[in-house]
Amino acid sequence: MSLRSWFEWVDAFPSSIAMREHLYAFPVLLTIHLISLAMFAGLVVMMDLRLLGVAYRGTPFSEVQARLFPWQMVGMVVTFLAGLLLFYAQPMRYFGKVLYWIKMALIVLAGVNALLFHLTTYRSVAKWHTASPPLRAKVAGVLSLAMWACIVAFGRLTAYDWLTFE
Amino acid sequence: MLLPLFEWLDGLRVGDWISTSSYAAPLINVMHIMALVILFGSLLIVDVRLLGRGMTQQPVARVARDARPWLIGALICMLLTGIPQVLSLPIREYYSPFFWMKMRLLLVTLIFTFTLRHKVTMADEARVGPIWGKVVGLVSIGLWTWIAVEGRLIGLLS
Repeated sequence: MSLRSWFEWVDAFPSSIAMREHLYAFPVLLTIHLISLAMFAGLVVMMDLRLLGVAYRGTPFSEVQARLFPWQMVGMVVTFLAGLLLFYAQPMRYFGKVLYWIKMALIVLAGVNALLFHLTTYRSVAKWHTASPPLRAKVAGVLSLAMWACIVAFGRLTAYDWLTFE
Repeated sequence: MLLPLFEWLDGLRVGDWISTSSYAAPLINVMHIMALVILFGSLLIVDVRLLGRGMTQQPVARVARDARPWLIGALICMLLTGIPQVLSLPIREYYSPFFWMKMRLLLVTLIFTFTLRHKVTMADEARVGPIWGKVVGLVSIGLWTWIAVEGRLIGLLS
């Protein structure tokens, strides 16, 4: 089965059609998606700014990371679930949008970036968490900021016809 | 009462470059959302701390002081990207109940943020007591979330 037929298969589900035709499902889900995103990504940005050494310099990075992490995860789960439902209601709307696919790829890359940072550079955090972080940490921070900015932008731009093929 | 003002704004046609360009409105909106992300981050890091969670090894005042430039910077960006959006469609905004609700809430919330919330975050925690911090943190999260909901609905339901 091709990717396209998977999307068409979901598109034909009665529950998908019902959500698509519901007057308020889209505005309600989109509003939840946006606000939970602002909370989640906002806390990720605050953490990245500390990683770059431009904000919250009086607080050790390890504390910023550990104490914001649970809140970031709650926001991420809500954003993900609302996003999944938005997709479920209109899979064919997103299938032909290049920006949607780039956004999905960037979400995966942002996750890989965070995971790699955690498994490598972060292991030595005790050596630098109150001082200036090493270059590798700053690179991870800049990458994270850049990728989340693009994810937010491309997510918003899927509302338009930019780079839409069908 | 304010309809003549919005009709006048509409007549100025300063927003025309936005409504006639196919790129201006989406890009201004994207910048508005990016500023929203920074705004919510700089608010939540403090509000969560006020609730007695988050970065509890730091005094509330330190977290609030560190967050403030990002909060103010984000608010300025919100304003700079919000005004052109109103100017591009003044009549739609005038007839949108969500727009007016957002503006009323924004006024109340800005006053709250820079008076009561500021005072509580800067005060001696032992003197203020934990209850006030929790109340202010919850009210702050509630008000700003409500503003964002109204803002999103201007575009979706107006």
